[in-house]
Amino acid sequence: MEMHAGAAAGKSPEERVALVGTPNVGKSVLFGLLTGTYATVSNYPGTTVEVTRGNAAVHGRRLVCIDTPGINSIVPMSEDEQVTRDILLAERPVTVVQVGDSKNLVRALLITLQLAEMELPLILDLNMEDEARDRGILIDTQALGRALGIEVISTVAPERKGLGELRRALASRAAAVPSAAVRYHKVIEDYAGRIAALLPPAAGPARALALMALSRDETLGPRLRCALDAAAVETIERLRGECERAFARPVGTAIHEARLRKARELAEAATTRVAASPYPIMRTLGAACMHPVWGACILAAVLLGLYGFVGVLGAGVLVDFAEDAVFNGYVNPFFTRAAELLVPTQFLRDMLVGPYGVITMALTYALAIILPITAAFFLAFGVLEDTGYLPRLAVMADRFFRLMGLSGKAVLPMVLGLGCGTMAVMTTRVLETRRDRLIATFLLALAVPCAAQLGVIMGMLGGLSLTAFAIWIGCLGAVLLLAGRLAALIVPGERTGFILEIPPFRLPSAGNVLLKTGHRVVWYLREAAPLFVYGTLALFLLDKAGLLDTLKEALAPVITDFLGLPREATAAFLVGFLRRDYGAAGLHALRDQGMLDPVQTMVSLLTLTLFVPCLAHFLMMIKERGLRPAVCMFVIIAVLAVAAGGALNWTLRALAIPLG
Amino acid sequence: MKDFAHKIVQEGPGTQSMFEDETLETVWDFIELGHAPAVADVVARVGDEARVRAVSLAGFITIAGDRISLTPAGERRARDVVRRHRLAERLFADILDIKDYEADACHFEHVISASVEEAICTLLGHPPLCPHGKPIPKGACCELYTRKLAPLVRSLADAEVGAMLRVTFITSPGLQRLAGLGLVPGAALRLQQKLPAFVVAIGETTVAIDRDVASGIFVRSV
Repeated sequence: MEMHAGAAAGKSPEERVALVGTPNVGKSVLFGLLTGTYATVSNYPGTTVEVTRGNAAVHGRRLVCIDTPGINSIVPMSEDEQVTRDILLAERPVTVVQVGDSKNLVRALLITLQLAEMELPLILDLNMEDEARDRGILIDTQALGRALGIEVISTVAPERKGLGELRRALASRAAAVPSAAVRYHKVIEDYAGRIAALLPPAAGPARALALMALSRDETLGPRLRCALDAAAVETIERLRGECERAFARPVGTAIHEARLRKARELAEAATTRVAASPYPIMRTLGAACMHPVWGACILAAVLLGLYGFVGVLGAGVLVDFAEDAVFNGYVNPFFTRAAELLVPTQFLRDMLVGPYGVITMALTYALAIILPITAAFFLAFGVLEDTGYLPRLAVMADRFFRLMGLSGKAVLPMVLGLGCGTMAVMTTRVLETRRDRLIATFLLALAVPCAAQLGVIMGMLGGLSLTAFAIWIGCLGAVLLLAGRLAALIVPGERTGFILEIPPFRLPSAGNVLLKTGHRVVWYLREAAPLFVYGTLALFLLDKAGLLDTLKEALAPVITDFLGLPREATAAFLVGFLRRDYGAAGLHALRDQGMLDPVQTMVSLLTLTLFVPCLAHFLMMIKERGLRPAVCMFVIIAVLAVAAGGALNWTLRALAIPLG
Repeated sequence: MKDFAHKIVQEGPGTQSMFEDETLETVWDFIELGHAPAVADVVARVGDEARVRAVSLAGFITIAGDRISLTPAGERRARDVVRRHRLAERLFADILDIKDYEADACHFEHVISASVEEAICTLLGHPPLCPHGKPIPKGACCELYTRKLAPLVRSLADAEVGAMLRVTFITSPGLQRLAGLGLVPGAALRLQQKLPAFVVAIGETTVAIDRDVASGIFVRSV
């Protein structure tokens, strides 16, 4: 962050506007409305991990808008909060727009008061005014503005209500620095003054920094060491120690309490309470989603809906149309013809349109099969995310995930993993500790089949019986639980306590969901599609060099003897690594040719489901978790998958269970 | 526990009163487990046989043959010592979060006055058991509380759904994450549900936590 500021100092000064606020107040939506470009907006706390910048032109004034990660305090408790604090200190924006939740005014004002101490020019935007009104909370923005000494605006971002006013406020003039200030206990004020006197003006707002130092803000150390000599840093440390002893209780807590009192005072003066809207249907529904009984019913309905939308509509109707009608009907014949006419050598022709061709295999695969399925999934997921259902699902799932040493929070990456494991690995960032992220990444790679794979698997199981389906689910659940429990024991560290903010249950706005889905589909095309091309090229070369047959030969003992599968199944597992669902498709073809009996079908499906994730997923694991952990997981998963498949093979044959 | 008791008798100020406390506490421990101790058992823990016999002369214990039992006066005093010891354990373990609290609890039991004892008991919400799961003998304040007062301070895990509560103190890890969400001492909250996870509303903020976190949040009714 400092680098940006340094670089900007050389150029003509660009005018920066920073959007700041607690998580889930609609910063990102406002950002999108102000700049026209889009950052992923989400109801799930902590999703806005990266800082997004965009250009905004308001009434002829050109501004660079910065969307900062959500914060609960200016004294950072997390990486996100530290990023935001550093942006405010280092980039000195011309205007800070604090986005607050209207129905939670005290919490917003707690931040306002801290921004005031940092002497930042501020506009307070109280968003979600409609939700506050539903709860019978009316805020007099004029009175609050006078009390704070700044402009206060109320908005409803998804409806663009109040947006004009915000743009006018941004365009008109430099915003005012709030005049409202918190008076602390005289001991604290005394020491804050003495520390502030030691700070050079260049370090930033002295009083705010002094209070941060007194609150035991460890992250402040490096900043101060840059600006001060060692003796001064030591003096500050000593003063802080003295203040703590003189005060006899945690200074940070006392500072927080003083701010809280002031915030309550301000909020009370500006708030009128009227009767809440009589039918808070969304609140009732939101609470029902977490109810032990109703919540379970809703969960079942959601899963059924998800299956219907993604499995039946996406993987069925849309894929059939895209694959059979569009690609096999027009696209592939066209390119095959074109290649025959334009490409001179057989080798290059095969590379483009052969059985392992970039167009006939990679593109067909990425665009005609995976894209419709993932797009359908992302759309459904976006709806679930924007309603605020996912954190409620985390509440429902907490106990289950506890068995695996995780907390309910892990449900987000797991559900996303049912769509695309690669993207799910990225979202493990919402988990707090490295340990939790490791376990979640491992379980994702092992036992969570992605949408595309799931589609094919469901098709094959549907051909057998309900017993077969139950055995598949049962085995998967058992492996998930067992592996999770073992991982929880092996991976060092304590289980993190489950603490999660539950945002209000909302009706999602269609525009927002569509934009977000579009954003994710573009991400998918950019990140995953090239991997299909590389994977197919590798397969093509292996095939041309005759190595594919050698590999099949080498792996035959495991496949035929231990798993009891035909030799041809080896290819399915090999390509399964390049694209997991293509492996499933390969098995589907074998079954159609009558080469798999019911037991073999079951064994191959279970092994493939558990088997190592696809190449893109694996690369993402390396990127997020590091090479060594990723390779370790890879090896463990390969062994576990084959062991589970083998066990199922012998068990089914020994018990002779009728499967269909 | 017996090692610390021994140490105090050997090295501590070593007053007769402290020795009596330790002896009575030891006898109480045995009786609690279901049998009157032999003289040798008690001596093995507290040391000096002659001094144990002096406790008998002081009228707190009777020694019949080989067995020791408590006199009514001895039982009253033993009860108080044990109560102070176990309250101290709870205080150190739950609130001050001290891992190795045994030695300090042994010192503490001798020095606190009745009013401090009562204040600690009230602060802890009149806990029924010590951290080792042994019963804490009831004091006058507990009797009063069971008759006419609602629990003053209890864990959120023990509160009932729908209750309006105020946070007294928090001992669970993740204190800072909770503070950021408005869960700080003094905050008013409503317990919405306990299953499948705990959900509390603090103003217009709703937060879900698991039982482990909830049991470290201490609240009182409002």
